[in-house]
Amino acid sequence: MSTAALPLAEAPVDWQALAARARLRRRLSTAFLYLAMTLGALPVLVPYLWLVTVAFSGRTGASTLVLWRTLAVILPALVLASIVGMAIEDQRRRRRALLLIGGAALALLAIVTGPYLHLNNWRFLWNPDVADALKGASGVGTKFPSVWSAFFNSLAIAGAQMALVVVVSTLAGYYISRFAFSGRPLFLQGLLVLHAFPAMTLIIPIFLMMYWVGLQDTLLGVVLVITALELPFAIFVMKGFFDAVPWEIEMSAMTDGASRRQAFLHVVLPQVKVGMLAIAIFAFLRGWEEYVFVRTLLVAKENWTMSLYLFWTITDVMGVDYALVSAVGVFYVLPSVVLYTFTQKYLTQMTIGGIKG
Amino acid sequence: MALFLGPACLLLFLCFLAPVVVDVLLAFTDMGRNLRITRFTTENVERLLTGDRRLPGVLAVTGIYVLGTLAIFNLTFALVLALVTTAMPTSAGAFFRAVWLLPRMSPSVVYALLWGWVVAPTDYGLLNQTLQALGLPPIDLKSDAPVALIIVANGFIGASFGMIIFTSAIRSIPEHLFWAAQVDGASRLAIVRHVTLPAIRWQISFVTIYQALSLLVSFEYIWLITDGGPFYDTTVYALYVYQRAFNNGQYAYGAALALGLVLIGITAALILWRLMDMRALLQRPRIEVT
Amino acid sequence: MNCLKLSVAALTFATAAGLAAPPPASAEEVTVKLWSRADRSGPLRAGNIVAAAEPLNAALKAAGSDKTVKVEVFEGPATGYDQDALDMLKAFSVGQGPDVYVAAHEWVGEFANSGYAMNLEDFVAANPWAFADVIPVLWEATRHQGQIHAIPQDSEIRMFFYNKDMLRKIGKDEAFIESLPELVDQGEFTMTDLSNLAKEVVDQGAAEMGIIHRPNTGPDYLMTFAAFGVRYLDEETGQLLLPKAEIQAGLEWFDWNARNGVTPENNTAMSWDEIQAAFKQEKAFIFHQGVWALPEFQLGDAKGAVWPTDEEGYFNKIGWIHAPAPEKGGEPANLSHPIVYVVNPQSPNADLAAMLVAFATLPYYNTQHAVGTAHTGVTYGQASMPAYKEAWYLGAAGPLLARSTFMPNHPDFARYNGILFKGLQGVETGRLTPEEAVDFLEDEMTNELGDALKVVDGLS
Repeated sequence: MSTAALPLAEAPVDWQALAARARLRRRLSTAFLYLAMTLGALPVLVPYLWLVTVAFSGRTGASTLVLWRTLAVILPALVLASIVGMAIEDQRRRRRALLLIGGAALALLAIVTGPYLHLNNWRFLWNPDVADALKGASGVGTKFPSVWSAFFNSLAIAGAQMALVVVVSTLAGYYISRFAFSGRPLFLQGLLVLHAFPAMTLIIPIFLMMYWVGLQDTLLGVVLVITALELPFAIFVMKGFFDAVPWEIEMSAMTDGASRRQAFLHVVLPQVKVGMLAIAIFAFLRGWEEYVFVRTLLVAKENWTMSLYLFWTITDVMGVDYALVSAVGVFYVLPSVVLYTFTQKYLTQMTIGGIKG
Repeated sequence: MALFLGPACLLLFLCFLAPVVVDVLLAFTDMGRNLRITRFTTENVERLLTGDRRLPGVLAVTGIYVLGTLAIFNLTFALVLALVTTAMPTSAGAFFRAVWLLPRMSPSVVYALLWGWVVAPTDYGLLNQTLQALGLPPIDLKSDAPVALIIVANGFIGASFGMIIFTSAIRSIPEHLFWAAQVDGASRLAIVRHVTLPAIRWQISFVTIYQALSLLVSFEYIWLITDGGPFYDTTVYALYVYQRAFNNGQYAYGAALALGLVLIGITAALILWRLMDMRALLQRPRIEVT
Repeated sequence: MNCLKLSVAALTFATAAGLAAPPPASAEEVTVKLWSRADRSGPLRAGNIVAAAEPLNAALKAAGSDKTVKVEVFEGPATGYDQDALDMLKAFSVGQGPDVYVAAHEWVGEFANSGYAMNLEDFVAANPWAFADVIPVLWEATRHQGQIHAIPQDSEIRMFFYNKDMLRKIGKDEAFIESLPELVDQGEFTMTDLSNLAKEVVDQGAAEMGIIHRPNTGPDYLMTFAAFGVRYLDEETGQLLLPKAEIQAGLEWFDWNARNGVTPENNTAMSWDEIQAAFKQEKAFIFHQGVWALPEFQLGDAKGAVWPTDEEGYFNKIGWIHAPAPEKGGEPANLSHPIVYVVNPQSPNADLAAMLVAFATLPYYNTQHAVGTAHTGVTYGQASMPAYKEAWYLGAAGPLLARSTFMPNHPDFARYNGILFKGLQGVETGRLTPEEAVDFLEDEMTNELGDALKVVDGLS
């Protein structure tokens, strides 16, 4: 019986080279991912940058002059900064290099865009009569809406709704998560289906009902309606968070003598803080941007909100000052972006739970 | 129980269920611009079922829009985003997720305004300026490809929802599964197919149903960007209802149309619920209530 | 004892009540609620009513009354007059309507039908000091079932602006250029001629676009259809009219323009900004709008180009014409869209509100609005005021008012107009042929307007 000689002595495998190749391949694929994501992120980011540049430089139209110049300075600076960031190992030297690049970019930016910048578009902040500059004939006794009252109205609506949504959905979420009450699957299914209710188109019945209940034309009515609309999603999220809290914690607290309510308040609730925060933020932003219900349910009171104010500056049957619009837009979007930047860490931790393992 | 579920039930009843009942009643009246009801009649329902020549087209557009946005953006693109951003180091991934959440976080009026600027048909439009810089002819998306426009515009917003849910789901997959797969020689793609996707099956189902319903009833962005498009090209059902009711003051007919939409939505939800076997995926709660 | 206690208590109570009662009012302040759209292009529409409180209070004081009137303004966020009217109807229906309001004239019928517009026929007759000088044709826009139900607040003149420089560039001589308005007026220059001229300008490269118009619902294209012989109201029955042949003729004109490169297909998708900029930067030959466009963007340096601001320089560059006749020998058409003040008869302060309107109609107030926003005044007397004369374009537009017609004051006309625009948009974008569009219009309008509409095959 002859057996083919097994190739015992193989050429020694060059593990170093293999590892290096794998590392290189991984680096390349990561770099490719970064590049792809950056290019993909541009369509999202550039329009917002455009909004900001027009707010500070536009005359009556939305020109892209300042935008392209800004991009021409910022993009190379960013690329340079990332290369430098990766290349230089030493902390101090890296920081100095980055500062240098940043400073140079800023100076260059000032030079190329400086002459176009002005604050005229922001006049609505201190002078509500925005038509004055356009037509020269200002109103006698008529009040142009003030952006600050709109701002505080929006704040009031968004804040009240946020508080209400958090409280109601936390309570409901806890109950659904823990208690197998009869009709629970139906309730959950119902929640999901409620989402299918075209709330916008139930406006007229809601309007009439608010009138009958006596809540029509009040901010409270609007807040209640918007809260109800956020609830299905909020309850699902809170349920998910409560599902993730181990039963043991609660059990041990109760065996230690705490009542159910105390266990809930002091033991379980802190665990779902993240969920509550996420819900709060979504609710606030929803209330901040609300337009349709405010428009429909507020009949005769002059309770303008930021969304109405912006809409008013945009829609002019005869001609629009887009530069003014962009300034108002930036003013309107700023709180959202600020809030969102500081809390987005929590938002991305949202889960809808539900499944075991 | 009353304390916990009570407020939620009250609000949901007041603002969802009761209006639906009122809506059903309204559909059988003749309420017009002056908000007065003078008689009960079935003419609105009749018109809805037989006399409205716009309706088939509207339904077709709605179908294309919902399926298109759902398939391309709310599911696929969201999955891609979630997978890619979790494959990156945490801070980079967080940054890109933050970028893609931005459309959802900004007020709808501002978002629509920006889209309007981007696709403006003349030289003002950002899109056209980019195209011209690349040597391509300018295009007018609002007139030539309005349905694609609304799918993309809504898709950017919709993708972020799925992205968040999927990200947290992927993060909670036990790490050892990945190690095991890699040791077995699985490529990145194979890992995704055999490890990641099955593990997040529930979340995918949930997002599908939830977003399908969302798309069915949402019209705010379409309204703000194309207002139903050139002629009726991008008038989805929900927008059609709103226009009939509020642009024309035909509140009773709008109520009838809204009723139709509610029925479609409930049917779709029930079918999807069955298809995705949601019931089996619901976690059993801890406490029995007798 | 009980009885005594009771009477003492009653007496004490009565005295206390009597002492606590407020002293008879020495001055009574009446608040009149005014509703107006928050309109940046016409802030004095509401402003004049507020200002009118001053002479009214002076008159009241001089007459010995102790009432003073204060005007409370509510500015609605509606995006247009149609939306604003719907908002007002909503407010009225829940008892929160205003005492006096600013509205577009074609809504007077709807408001009157629902009981929210006061019949002012006698009031106007009783106050000739305010109303005798009002241009008579304007009253037509305020009548409902033959009776005056509103007071005109302003009027406007609409025209086709045409760019004379472009005509010079393609080699037309001055005689032709200057004679155009005259030719149109005599019916010698027709709609077809206008289209052909615009096509010539575009083909020879003097402009990118031939004729552009508004991108949303409004009165302008109604003028064009009127030029083709469309009448919107059936005088005998009071129904709205859809004359299919004439409408089709009008749609065919729009269709020809869109298919032959005279009007861009996406005209209705452009924004106001783009359209106005296109005309100002001389990329478009003809623009259909109205006299207020002059101070708004045509004069001076708005929208990216600089045009002369004096009368001579301006008319050297731009000319105005009515909507030409459809065929030689026909009549050109013009349409005006007055805004009106309406008083709510159900308000307890209706007479005071009506008086405010009377004062606001005086030339002193009306001219401030007219000059500031380039709308034409409502009385003859205004034309001789120095401020009015200084706004030379108002005077120049005056003669065009002679051919003005108005939209019908029918409650459903706003809907009619909206559907008509939809049909127009369908034709222009190529989604519908003119025949299909007429079918569409008939279908939609009968569905929405029901008995309020009468469809006829043709008027002639």
